Amino acid sequence: LKAFAYVNAANEREALAALDAQRGRALPLAGGMDLLGLMKNYIVQPDRVVNIKSLDSTISVQGSGARIGAAVKLVELLEHQAFAKAYPAVVTAAGEVGTPQIRNSGTVGGNIMQRPRCWYFRNEEFPCLKKGGARCFAVDGENQYHAIFGGGPCHIVHPSSLAVPLVAYGAKFRAIGPNGEREIDAGEFFQLPADNLMGETVLRPNELLTHVILPPPGSVRSATYEVRFKQSHDWPLAFASVVMAMDGARVKTARVVMGAVAPIPWRAPAAEQALAGKTITEAVAAEAANAAVAGATPMTQNSYKVQVARTAVKRAILRAAGIQTV
Amino acid sequence: VADERAKDGQVPEVQAAARPAAHPKYPWPAKPVLLGTAVSRLDGPLKATGKAKYAYDIRRPGMLFAKILRSPYPHARLLSIDLSAAEKAPGVKAVLAWRETGGKEKVVYQGDEVAAVAATTEEQAHDAIRLIRMQYEPLPHLASVEQSLRPEAPNVFEGGNVKVGSAEENGDIAAGFKAAAHIVENTYNTQVITHTCLETHGCVCEWNGDQLTAWVSTQAVHGTREGFAKALDIPMNNVRVITEYMGGGFGSKFGPDVQGLICARLAKQANAPVHLMLDRKEEHLATGNRPSAYARVKAGVAADGTLTAFDAETWGTGGAGAGSGYPLPYIYQFPNRRRVHKDVYINAGQQRAMRAPGHPQGCFVTEVLMDELADRVRMDPVEFRMKNLPPEAPNAMWRSYFPIAAQMIGWEKRHPTGDPAPGPIKRGLGVAANRWGGAGRGTRAHCEINPDGTVVVRCGTQDIGTGTRTIVTMVAAETLGIPMDLVNAQIGDSNYPFSGGSGGSTTAASVSPAIRVTTGKARDALFARIAPQLGAAPEALSVADGRISVQASPSTGLGAGKTVGWRDACKMLGTEPVSVDGEWEAGLSASGTTGVQAADVEVDIETGVAKVKRIVCVQDMGLVVDMKTARTQIYGGIISCLNYALFEDRILDRNTAQMVNPDMEWYRIAGMSDIPQLDVRIMNQPERGVIGIGEPPAVSTAAAIANAVRNATGVTIRSLPLTPDRILTALERAGGTN
Repeated sequence: LKAFAYVNAANEREALAALDAQRGRALPLAGGMDLLGLMKNYIVQPDRVVNIKSLDSTISVQGSGARIGAAVKLVELLEHQAFAKAYPAVVTAAGEVGTPQIRNSGTVGGNIMQRPRCWYFRNEEFPCLKKGGARCFAVDGENQYHAIFGGGPCHIVHPSSLAVPLVAYGAKFRAIGPNGEREIDAGEFFQLPADNLMGETVLRPNELLTHVILPPPGSVRSATYEVRFKQSHDWPLAFASVVMAMDGARVKTARVVMGAVAPIPWRAPAAEQALAGKTITEAVAAEAANAAVAGATPMTQNSYKVQVARTAVKRAILRAAGIQTV
Repeated sequence: VADERAKDGQVPEVQAAARPAAHPKYPWPAKPVLLGTAVSRLDGPLKATGKAKYAYDIRRPGMLFAKILRSPYPHARLLSIDLSAAEKAPGVKAVLAWRETGGKEKVVYQGDEVAAVAATTEEQAHDAIRLIRMQYEPLPHLASVEQSLRPEAPNVFEGGNVKVGSAEENGDIAAGFKAAAHIVENTYNTQVITHTCLETHGCVCEWNGDQLTAWVSTQAVHGTREGFAKALDIPMNNVRVITEYMGGGFGSKFGPDVQGLICARLAKQANAPVHLMLDRKEEHLATGNRPSAYARVKAGVAADGTLTAFDAETWGTGGAGAGSGYPLPYIYQFPNRRRVHKDVYINAGQQRAMRAPGHPQGCFVTEVLMDELADRVRMDPVEFRMKNLPPEAPNAMWRSYFPIAAQMIGWEKRHPTGDPAPGPIKRGLGVAANRWGGAGRGTRAHCEINPDGTVVVRCGTQDIGTGTRTIVTMVAAETLGIPMDLVNAQIGDSNYPFSGGSGGSTTAASVSPAIRVTTGKARDALFARIAPQLGAAPEALSVADGRISVQASPSTGLGAGKTVGWRDACKMLGTEPVSVDGEWEAGLSASGTTGVQAADVEVDIETGVAKVKRIVCVQDMGLVVDMKTARTQIYGGIISCLNYALFEDRILDRNTAQMVNPDMEWYRIAGMSDIPQLDVRIMNQPERGVIGIGEPPAVSTAAAIANAVRNATGVTIRSLPLTPDRILTALERAGGTN
């Protein structure tokens, strides 16, 4: 763990002042669930760590939607009854994160901004693309947990559980930077490796995510379904969030987003179209699920993930529609 | 009785007589008060509150922290080393080149030790080893058995990448296959897993002149003392090894190890105590593992379900130059059989003994094969096994135990292979058997009975986590007829009387008899000392329930009915305690355990995720000392073998031979939610004496789970672990459930 300077930022202005335009020089610390591991493994070696725990950590749920401070802990989100009622797909996803200890310390902002868990990225021995190296070791290596969508050249899956339902609900992220604040659509916040190899989002190193803003739920039905190998502490093999705007029993429009299958939360427009105008049945859900994975391009070891993702989409749709599933 | 530390560090089964020899001087009591009851481990509260100090927790005045620099290459020549920058780094007090450079020496796996640093803080040591400049000449490497077995593979290991063993053959193979109505031919394999001890390997070393004290996380305090003395070329009586508490070894912690020797040398160099505990990554890379196993098997069965022939070619890898043998076929009787094994070397960390070495592999291969053969002759798998078991004996009780396990798991409701229920969730049952030695041997102990009535028992054994301190206390209290809180059991110090390493499930069967004999002798010595004051012959005294009773003398009738409390009796010792040495004697322990396990498993055929709902275990271990720690050892064994079945897998990158999951994130271990209901039936055999139980419960869970998955899904998965990938792929190949 390289020695570093520590800045305790009391507010957004101080936090911004302590960040740095050069990538990796200064890094924000909230729950520390991800950053400490990265530092201990010498994957990042910041000169300065900026404590942002004292930034806004409130949850407000009103008719106009919800506003969540990035410093809100996952456990606080889980225990907020009005939020859970309005946005069940987010709460289900938050409840699947890590362990109780991680949910007690990890924050909403940290979950969204965490770096990928790809084992080639996380182990120093592998000078992979994301670390400035020449190749993606996953391509002809051990890629059983890697992407089945996204096209490379780096084949990580995005690690955030919250990002997927947030994209499905059409959330916005508030960020601050040297030029003031901006709001970014969740769907445009995450970037594919082809557009941004060294990072995973549009945020610049001297910008900071401060809030998640959710539109009012309206008459939607929503759910998240996660498939994981272990029941305790594990990463999902694949999961899906579905948000369906309803017109009575029929789906008016739907958003279907898959997680752990691509370097970003992966929207499935074909599945969304398959649901539009339909009443949800097992057959409709299965058809949409097939559409969701139709364009998958599995790697050498992970074609089983196509079936896992298909199941996650199908079960998320059924769960959103209130149909009993396993 | 074999010495448990064979030359390659393996711990073979320790086998002795299945029944104890007759007439020990201090036999086990016919009607025990404490033995066989459920006593919570006495040091549990200390462990739960953090008061128990493990090697990791030792802090000495002026202590430094050390880190080891390890090779990132799986195979390379060491050309040069430059320690100068590390020597100048903040806090650094000692730097050590562990290997000769200049091209003479090679590293043969990622994680091989090359140098080390001791510094004031652990972080400084971490930073400083990164300043050591190594020059390597990378050499061709082998990342898998498949690569090693290719004809064009580079010759990486002296004497060849493959070592072919001699053929074992019994009976007439050709005749056996001729007699077969059905023949099954398949290839089975199990993965490499690592020991993953919760407390990592390591120690604290402190020199006082030429005297070395080492607090080591080890399963052999005496063996480790000897290891330090030999490797450092110092007299054994200059070394003291202390292991008050340790957090798991499973066969991987028998000596000082490389890190222990590095630690001792850094401590000498820095003239300060040094703390060197490995991290999780180092554990996975360099502190041992269970070898993989492959078996290409052809087996025959007659129409009536009698096994006729078994022919196997087997191989596996124990890493860089280490063996991979395992017993096969396992338990069941194939009258005609042949087996050839070869060790395949790859550039990966070397294997070490791991919880019942070889047995889980042999059990998996044989037991999955048994279910396939049973289906061929359309027999119930339990009935089929019963037909092919060895004859019943005290150390071969499967005929009695299979029906019990079947009854406990609800076998009568088992459907044939492939759950016919609609929907994606399929349920299935499976069984598998195990065996192990677990005999005791030479252990010495010392007992003092003090004038205040307290008792000290010292034995140079160690508690690998099974509850040794508790059973020492129980046996002493039982023998002396006093409450356990009067007994102070002191273990885990090489200054105490000799005991062997805790391997081969030998500890309970070695230590319990030694304590029985020693405390029995102490009791007799106490009687001899106080008898004159009680006006009775020593033989007329007995002790129970904390009181000493005097039996009426048959000739004079004197002393009848007289009793005296334990503390009052001990006061009669004056100022000189009773002080007695004793040792293990034959007749109080035996060898050979039998177990049967059954699994109830649920498989989601749309996700490939298998969940274990319940494991049933029927297991004997001779005389049970502590029912509670016996039971918890069995729980631990089952859980570890469930991990083998489903989760654990050392994954090497196929191109670089570097481990991609040297952590506890992608190297999966069951958490609370993954642990099913565990139902254990302990079969008491008090007449046999004590037999160890550490290993046998960890043998057959994986095979039982694999057979339950097969019963649920109708597809046979012949490779561990049973990942969603393997289950979905097998289902897809089969076109769905059968």
